[in-house]
Amino acid sequence: MTRRKFIYRVVKAGSVILVGAAWLAKKAAPRRFVRAVRHDKYPGPLRPPYGIFEQGKWSG
Amino acid sequence: MKVQCELCPKNCVISPGQSGECRVRVNIDGVLRTVVYGYPCSINVDPIEKKPMAHFLPGTGILSIATVGCNLHCRFCQNWEISQANPEETPAIFYSREKLFWSPQDLVDITKKAGCPSLAYTYTDPIVYYEYTYDTAKLAREAGIRNVLVTAGYINEEPWKRLLKFIDGANIDLKGFTDEFYINVCSATLKPVLNALILAKANGVIVEVTNLIIPTLNDKPEEIRQLCRWMKANLGGETPLHFSRFFPRHKMLNLPPTSTETLDLARTIAVEEGLEHVYIGNIASKEGQNTYCPGCKSLLVERSGYTILQNKLKDGTCPKCGRAIYGVWK
Repeated sequence: MTRRKFIYRVVKAGSVILVGAAWLAKKAAPRRFVRAVRHDKYPGPLRPPYGIFEQGKWSG
Repeated sequence: MKVQCELCPKNCVISPGQSGECRVRVNIDGVLRTVVYGYPCSINVDPIEKKPMAHFLPGTGILSIATVGCNLHCRFCQNWEISQANPEETPAIFYSREKLFWSPQDLVDITKKAGCPSLAYTYTDPIVYYEYTYDTAKLAREAGIRNVLVTAGYINEEPWKRLLKFIDGANIDLKGFTDEFYINVCSATLKPVLNALILAKANGVIVEVTNLIIPTLNDKPEEIRQLCRWMKANLGGETPLHFSRFFPRHKMLNLPPTSTETLDLARTIAVEEGLEHVYIGNIASKEGQNTYCPGCKSLLVERSGYTILQNKLKDGTCPKCGRAIYGVWK
């Protein structure tokens, strides 16, 4: 193997490793959100609207 | 795939099927979703004095909404039944049997129907139902309705600035003045709250501050003095401060209610430090519930609990000396 070919192979292998590591890092990193997407269905029970025009029982 | 919620300084990294600390922002199939958008657990018409807002349209009603969830876990929370609840176990209010969801427009419409000039995002913390608050506030602003936040102010800078464009008034809790208190009692930190207060004021929001005084935990005169100094230096002496009486609730049943003497002392300290409008809440207090002119000291707004007994302000100014009083008055 010539020196030129050897260097070419080392660079190629290094590039493959770098691309792979970057892909893995991207895959492992969480997707980042500030604004959440609206979910259509409320996961809990629902009740009818009553007492809306009255004072609330909660503080604040 | 995990997601990271960058709404508040907790920056929760959430695994699929799990929620953030607030319990209402959930990773569903690699997407961050808000499961409470359109599903308030409380809708009521309150006197605005209950928020408490003393310098914002006194004597008017305010449509007040909340969904379940909170990004803080204060051991003394007065509304823990909804703030520390899972949406799976807590009933939300449906709009009608045909249409379960309360759209932002539905909230604006009900505010008008109730004859309220303003809409409050309150009871739990509007930060965790950020998207619902944002969309509703935007529509309300277009409809000429004013928006009021009642919040702990624990939010990242970028979403906070975006929301503030549509907010007219805010009562922001400053729960203590040490990081130790915020970490141990509220599971939060102090600095983002201070930052949120400064940003709100800088963005033209009418800011009022509430400090719940808890015996032995945040009632040291020196700590109260530091808080007042910070307020005066960073928010201005005109910013109203409400000292609120603690009652044993949630995980803090071992402490007694705050004494009248402690609340009066706190008010004296705040006045000494140059704060012009200092109120005492959750307890009957003659001086601590009225608004006085900082210039000539004459009585401007006399209150009894949430009731306005008299309002002498003329176009937001003192009728005696003509001084403009901080707030929204009409």
